[in-house]
Amino acid sequence: MNDFIIEGHGLKRYYQRGNETVKALDGVDVSIRKGEIVSILGPSGSGKTTLINLLSGLDAPTEGTLVIDGKSAAGLSEDELVEVRRGVLGFVFQNFSLLPTLTVTENIELPLLFLGLQADPERTRRVIDAVGLTDRANHLPRELSGGQMQRVAIARALIIEPKILVADEPTGNLDRATGESIIALFKKLAKEDGLAILLTTHNTVFGSQADRAITLEDGRIVALNGPPNKLPLH
Amino acid sequence: MNQAMKTDPFILRRYFALAIKNLRRRLVRTSLTIAGVALAVTVAVSLGGFMLGYRGAIDRSINMLGFQVMIMAKGCPYEAATMMLKGGTGLLYLPSDTYDKVKSDPEIESITPIFVGVAQKQGSGIRDDAGATNFSVISGIEVLSYKVMKPWIALKSGPGYDGGRWFEADSKTDVVLGFEAAEYEQRKVGDSFYASIAPAGKPEPVMHEFKVVGVLERTGTQDDGTVFMPIDVAREYFGRPAQLTILGIKLKQFNAVKMREFETRWLKLPEVQVVGLQQVKNTLVSLVATAQTMIAAVAVIAIIVALIGVINTILMSVYERTAEIGIMKALGARRGSIFQLIWLETVIICLIGALTGSILAVVGSSLVERAIRSIADFGVSGSIVSITPQVIMYAVSGAVALGFFGGLYPAWRASSMRPVGAISKGV
Repeated sequence: MNDFIIEGHGLKRYYQRGNETVKALDGVDVSIRKGEIVSILGPSGSGKTTLINLLSGLDAPTEGTLVIDGKSAAGLSEDELVEVRRGVLGFVFQNFSLLPTLTVTENIELPLLFLGLQADPERTRRVIDAVGLTDRANHLPRELSGGQMQRVAIARALIIEPKILVADEPTGNLDRATGESIIALFKKLAKEDGLAILLTTHNTVFGSQADRAITLEDGRIVALNGPPNKLPLH
Repeated sequence: MNQAMKTDPFILRRYFALAIKNLRRRLVRTSLTIAGVALAVTVAVSLGGFMLGYRGAIDRSINMLGFQVMIMAKGCPYEAATMMLKGGTGLLYLPSDTYDKVKSDPEIESITPIFVGVAQKQGSGIRDDAGATNFSVISGIEVLSYKVMKPWIALKSGPGYDGGRWFEADSKTDVVLGFEAAEYEQRKVGDSFYASIAPAGKPEPVMHEFKVVGVLERTGTQDDGTVFMPIDVAREYFGRPAQLTILGIKLKQFNAVKMREFETRWLKLPEVQVVGLQQVKNTLVSLVATAQTMIAAVAVIAIIVALIGVINTILMSVYERTAEIGIMKALGARRGSIFQLIWLETVIICLIGALTGSILAVVGSSLVERAIRSIADFGVSGSIVSITPQVIMYAVSGAVALGFFGGLYPAWRASSMRPVGAISKGV
C-alpha cells in the first residue's frame, strides 16, 4: 500500500473552442504524498490551473486515471466530484474569495455549513490562532489587509481538517514579505499536521521552497525538481 | 475531516442567516424589490378585505333590517335592495290593503308595514353648501310591530335625550330621529324639526313643523339617517292615504323551500314582488362584482410584475456572485445547498414583502375604504373593508408560494454552475 493521497496518470484535459481542440493538459503524471508540499510552476497558459483543478476534483480529466484519497475521480459528473472533495480538500484562492458580509469567524466556519456540521467555537478559535488572526475574529473582510484576508482563506480551508490543501496562486496578490509568511505557514502545516499541500505560483522563489516543483509548459511537464525518491517516473 | 465533528440539527437556521446577509449586500435593490412585493400584497389584501368586508357589511345590514322577506311594488330588484338598505329614491307604492291580505298568512311570524317618503329639509341652518344633503328620508311606521321586528332599537338617553319616547299613532307633530339624522341636524329631544313635503299630485311642497320626541341609539343601519313618524300621518302628509312602500315580514321558518312557497302564494297579487334576503344579497354583490373583478385583475398584474422583479433581482444577484457560488461549491456545497440558499433568498424577499404589504393594508384600510366609497356608493352602511387574519394569512401564503415558484429558476441556474467555470469568471 503506498502513501500517495493523490495519484494521477496520463491526465489529459481538452477543450473545444469552435472547431479547434485546445490541449490544456496533455498527458501528465503527478502523485502527491501526505505531508508533502508540491508546487506547480509555469507561465500563464501553461496548464497550471487546469492541473490543479483536476488534482483537486474541481474538474474531471478528459483522459487518464485519477485517484484522490482512495476514490477514483476520473469520468465523474460534477455531483460525484463534490462527494470526492467534500471534507478532504481545502481550497485557497488568489483573490481570497471571502464573503464580504461575513465576519472572519463566519467566513472560516462557512465550509461547515455546507458539510452540515456544527461550528465548534473552540476549534474555530484554535484555527484563527494558528493563522495569527486572534484579534481579528469579528472583523469584516474589508477591515483586513491582503495578507490577513489570505490567512482567513487558509483558516477557512483548515476548519474542516482536510487532508489536502489546494492553493491556486496564494501569494499572487501579496507583497513579498507577506507571501513568505504564507509559505512559512504552509510548511508548518505540512510538517506538523501532515497536510499535503498543492500550490501553483508564478514566483520561482516560493516554488523552490516546496518539497517538489513541477514545471509545466503547453500542458506538459518540462521539469521536475526535488529528491529523486519523490519524483514520479514519467 | 475529523469524524468527531457533529452534524448540525439546526442547519436551516444557518442557511437562513446566510441568505439574510446576502440580501443585505445590495440593500437598496433588495428594499426596492421588497417594496414591489409589498405593494402587490397591499393591493391583494385590500381587495380581499373589501370582498370579505363588503359581503359582511351586506349581511350585517340585511340582518339589521329585522325581516327576512319584504313585499313591495313591482320594480327593479336593485331599487328594492337600495330601498331596504339606504332609503332609496324613485319610490313605488303598494295598495295598503295588501297588508290586510298578507298578514293573515299562517307562515308569518311577524309583519310590519312601512311607508317611505322623501321630504326637503327646511331651516336646518347646518349646511347650505353644494354637498349638503337637502332631503330627509321619512319612514312612517307602526311602532309596535316595528319594534317587534327590530327589538334592538332603543331610545337614546343622557343630557338632551332624557324623556325620549315613541310617538302616539295619531300624533301629527311628533317625530323620532335616527342617531345620524339627529346629529346632522343637531336636534335633541324637545327641539323642533322642519320638513317640506310635496303631497302626491301637488307641485308645491308644504312646510311642516315637528317636535322631536325621541332620538334613537346608533344601529349602523339606514334607520340612523331616518326620520320616523306614525304611518297614517306620513301617508296623509305625502298624499297617499291608501298606499304603502314595504311590508317587512319575518317567517316562522325561513329556508329556501318556505321562501319559495311564500313567494308563490303572494306573487298572485298583480302589483307586488316578493323579495328575499338572498335575492337582495345577490343583487348587491353583483353590483360590485365587475368592479371587484377589475381590481382583482390589477392585483394579479401587480403580483406578476412584483414576481418578475423578484426573479430579476435574484438572477442579477446570482450572476454577480458567480465566482462566489463557485467558491462555495469548492468548499463542499452540493448542488442542493446552493439551490436551497438562493431559493431561501427569494422566499425571504417575498415573505418580508408580504408582511410589510399586509401591515400597510391594515394601516391604510380606512384610506382604502374612503377611496372605494368615493368611487361608488355600495348601498350598505358600516365598514366595507374587513382585513381579517385569514385574509392576511392567504395573502402571505400566496406571496410565499409565488416566491417558491419564482425562486426555482434562479436557484436552478446557481446550482447548475460548474465550480471551475464559475470561479474563473470572478477571479
